[in-house]
Amino acid sequence: MSNSTFHSQRKWNIGFMLFLTLLLTLLSQISIRFTFIMALGISLGFVLQKSRFCLVSALRDPILIGMTQLTRAFILLLGISILGFALVYWGSSLRNIPLTLNVFPLGVHTVVGGLLFGIGMVLAGGCSSGILMRSGEGFAMQWVALFGLVVGAVMGDRSIINWRNTFGEWPGIFLPDILGWFPTLILEISILLGLWQLAKWWQTKQFGE
Amino acid sequence: MTRFAIDIWGEMCPIPLIKAKKKLTSMQCGDILVLETEHSCTSRSIVLWAKANRYQIEEEEVANGIWHLELTKTHD
Amino acid sequence: MKKTLQTIIHGPWAYWIGAIILGILNILVLIVRREPWGITMNLGIWGEWLGSSLGILNHQGITFKRLMTFSGTYLNIGLLLGAFWATLVASQVRFRPIRDKKFFFSALIGGLLMGYGARIAYGCNVGGLLNGIASSSLTGWIFAIAVFLGTWLGSKLLMKFLV
Repeated sequence: MSNSTFHSQRKWNIGFMLFLTLLLTLLSQISIRFTFIMALGISLGFVLQKSRFCLVSALRDPILIGMTQLTRAFILLLGISILGFALVYWGSSLRNIPLTLNVFPLGVHTVVGGLLFGIGMVLAGGCSSGILMRSGEGFAMQWVALFGLVVGAVMGDRSIINWRNTFGEWPGIFLPDILGWFPTLILEISILLGLWQLAKWWQTKQFGE
Repeated sequence: MTRFAIDIWGEMCPIPLIKAKKKLTSMQCGDILVLETEHSCTSRSIVLWAKANRYQIEEEEVANGIWHLELTKTHD
Repeated sequence: MKKTLQTIIHGPWAYWIGAIILGILNILVLIVRREPWGITMNLGIWGEWLGSSLGILNHQGITFKRLMTFSGTYLNIGLLLGAFWATLVASQVRFRPIRDKKFFFSALIGGLLMGYGARIAYGCNVGGLLNGIASSSLTGWIFAIAVFLGTWLGSKLLMKFLV
């Protein structure tokens, strides 16, 4: 099974860092914005791998093994993102910078899509970010999943129109428009705090303190 | 103090942990379960689960990206 | 001190640290890109480009040049490179092949379901769930509940067919 010993991959690492530097430098000749974005992408991939962050784990482990550490970390991520997005939204409204948030239309296909996505990510052993992350780590299983993801995405994109025509669609609901910003934020953070407590209680119940 | 091993090589998480859980129920106090995996996620989740159960766990990276685990069932 | 350095290089980092850094990065992406981080919308465009290049799909106007004009392309490529680099830094790179054909099929079917589901809901776990909720959109919360139920169903399938 494991006949190999430990080899330092430092030389490869230095080579790869040079490659990344070269890539980013070339890209900066075309667009500074894309260079920044790629650097952010690289950072995201790096942090995801180093912290082994995985949404599938966060949602599946409470069910299958009763552990909720990742679930709670994900709730923390949600909280930070909600508040950060609100700040950026306010900041850009003040300066009249156009900004798009992910307020998507709602329909039967939202729920169906979510169910299919949930089933799929357990079977594939990773969510979208997890599949990209593990593809980068060298898992052939996730390369196959990535292929499926791309094919499925094309099929999905091309069939939205059918879902819309069959079941209709409501425009996205931006909660601050209905409730106002502060009630929305308080509500959302409260729900997250409640979920966090629930997750903590769930693990304590399985394992003791 | 018997040593057991189960083959979890190449299994995607959480399957190794589920298999380990099952094996532990048939083991006695003091027995050791030996596991090897090339999956960083799997290794970490087994370590976390063992610690949550207050079992003794040793994890060692024995080759590039291969982890060797020894889980001691310290209580029932 | 040496142990901390070891942990930084080798990982794993504590989940809550990952959460905070990812949160900050997520917000930075929103600022630079002027729209939130998302993965599958761009993957669909890759698919269109591949399909029309291979002659399988009717051309919808996605050339390679056009593909390179989308910010999502750089995020996704960056993610792949970053994850690989993280593994390399820890000297943990190795090819991990599929060792049982049942995993090939679950990966393929799982990927198809994920891609399809994500696109008809307009987003995946990042664009639809994380950033749908982060955008204070009700759709995001509803999608999250659906994904959780799907995970529950998927777990049952996993226990039945893959263990």
